[in-house]
Amino acid sequence: MLEVSVRKRLGPGFTLDVDFAAPPGVTVLFGASGSGKTLTLRAVAGLLRPDAGRVSAGGRVLFDSDSGIDIPVARRRVGYLFQNLALFPHMTALENVEFAAGGVPRGERRGRALSLLERLGVAHAAGRRPREVSGGEAQRVALARALAASPRVLLLDEPLSALDEPVRLRIVKDLKELNEELRLPVLYVTHSRDEALLLGGRAVIYERGRVAAEGSPEELFAAPASETVARLTGVENIFEGTVVARDEGAGTMSVELKGPGGLACRVEVPLGQSAEGARVRVAVRSGDILLAAEEPHNISARNVLRGRVSAIEERSAHTLVRVESGVTWAASVTRHALEQLGLRPDREVWLAFKTYSCRVYE
Amino acid sequence: MAAIDLSPLWLSLRVATLSTLCVVLAGVALGWLLARRRFFGREALDAAVTLPLVLPPTVLGYYLLVLLGRGGPVGRAYEALTGSQLVFTWRGAVIAAAAGALPLMVKTARAAVAGVDTQYEDAARTLGKSEWQVFKRVTLPLASRGLLAGAMLAFARALGDFGATLMVAGNIPGRTQTAAIAIYDATQAGRDSDAVALVLVLSAAAFALLYATNRLSAAGHDS
Repeated sequence: MLEVSVRKRLGPGFTLDVDFAAPPGVTVLFGASGSGKTLTLRAVAGLLRPDAGRVSAGGRVLFDSDSGIDIPVARRRVGYLFQNLALFPHMTALENVEFAAGGVPRGERRGRALSLLERLGVAHAAGRRPREVSGGEAQRVALARALAASPRVLLLDEPLSALDEPVRLRIVKDLKELNEELRLPVLYVTHSRDEALLLGGRAVIYERGRVAAEGSPEELFAAPASETVARLTGVENIFEGTVVARDEGAGTMSVELKGPGGLACRVEVPLGQSAEGARVRVAVRSGDILLAAEEPHNISARNVLRGRVSAIEERSAHTLVRVESGVTWAASVTRHALEQLGLRPDREVWLAFKTYSCRVYE
Repeated sequence: MAAIDLSPLWLSLRVATLSTLCVVLAGVALGWLLARRRFFGREALDAAVTLPLVLPPTVLGYYLLVLLGRGGPVGRAYEALTGSQLVFTWRGAVIAAAAGALPLMVKTARAAVAGVDTQYEDAARTLGKSEWQVFKRVTLPLASRGLLAGAMLAFARALGDFGATLMVAGNIPGRTQTAAIAIYDATQAGRDSDAVALVLVLSAAAFALLYATNRLSAAGHDS
């Protein structure tokens, strides 16, 4: 178990103040850039000295402002994959890993380094310098190097952000498998929802130097606890609106969403605390919105809106269709559905989503 | 025409080599300290070490005489330890040349170390490496090109030192008369052909060293 509780004031506008625990397995640190994720990693590694707090790994105290403990970086046994990897350019891949295996008797270093490179599928690159290997290979070499030092904790700072998606997802899978044996607490900083969901485990959501939410990535992404979490976890539709009616009996309320140019659209959402006239925000995932080529009748979805396609954006796994209906909605569909519905810009289309697909932030 | 006496040249080479050795050791340490450590008086230290670059050589020579002379702290300690003097010996010439060359080494070493991305050093620390290992295995090799250029500049400077060497070591033919001093001596005595030979050799050596230094820095930019 890695326990992190650090406070560090960095200038007048920003204070890092986080407190969370990471069990063996992957804990994803998720949040906008500048929210303090990397600073947290640096504090755990000992590269940043907190003003106050306590960091311990597996019961071993690495930092404790109360008792004045501050274990030097070199003795923390915290493996750290920097965003740019920092592979030593003057050493080959093998030498990089061998250098890290300093705790192993001299005669066994090479063997250990080679077996780690092999384990990570980059034994073929052993004799190459960092600038002679591909991005994905460099990631694997850096991971082998970090593991060669027998860390107790592993920190990965957006390690895959520079890679293509297929390469990235394969490495994520390998990392997950590898850690099923090692059982290290891994802090994994990422911007990518896919990575967060694939790595599973736990997620800690950062917002301006604080922990906004923690839990399983599935939970956090499915039901964001706050508007900021919703925004961070990529809920595409977030609109401001005014409560126009409350129906206590049905457990719903009507919210009028304000669009640009005075246009508006009315949606039915789950009943909240807000009184009529109160301003609220409504969030709907693009994946929860159905598109229909004709006006749908007899369906359970309480929100059926007529709109016009304004843009179609191809994403890696799906297609995002933007629909004007007072406000601009984003709906994800498969390519197949896109063709079948004959969707194209300017075409009339109906949006449908359930009351309970709407989350209201009051 | 009498054979040209090349002994001043050999003395110069020996003095320059020894002083470069000292300058590299002290210069790399100082350069690292100035580039990587924050401490009170850091820039004052840099300025003090750089002074010989801008002071008249006679001023530097004067300070060295005060330090190294029989009454000076360093001279007295040296005499107590070895029974011999520093002033008016080739050892004195080594120290004078080193003092003049040190700023060039410190300046280039500071820049070379500062040019190494600290992330490499941090990475080595997270891999459990001591500060000495970080320096030896990461900082030093990554700064090596700049350090080598600094050493060559220092050698070129030491090879040509005149003023401070003259004041500290004097002009004793065969013992402290370096090439630069021998040129002065020869022109004063009207032995122009002796002077010309040494002038040409020193000029060629300095040019070759500067040229190599430039090539080294240019190659560093390419990679």
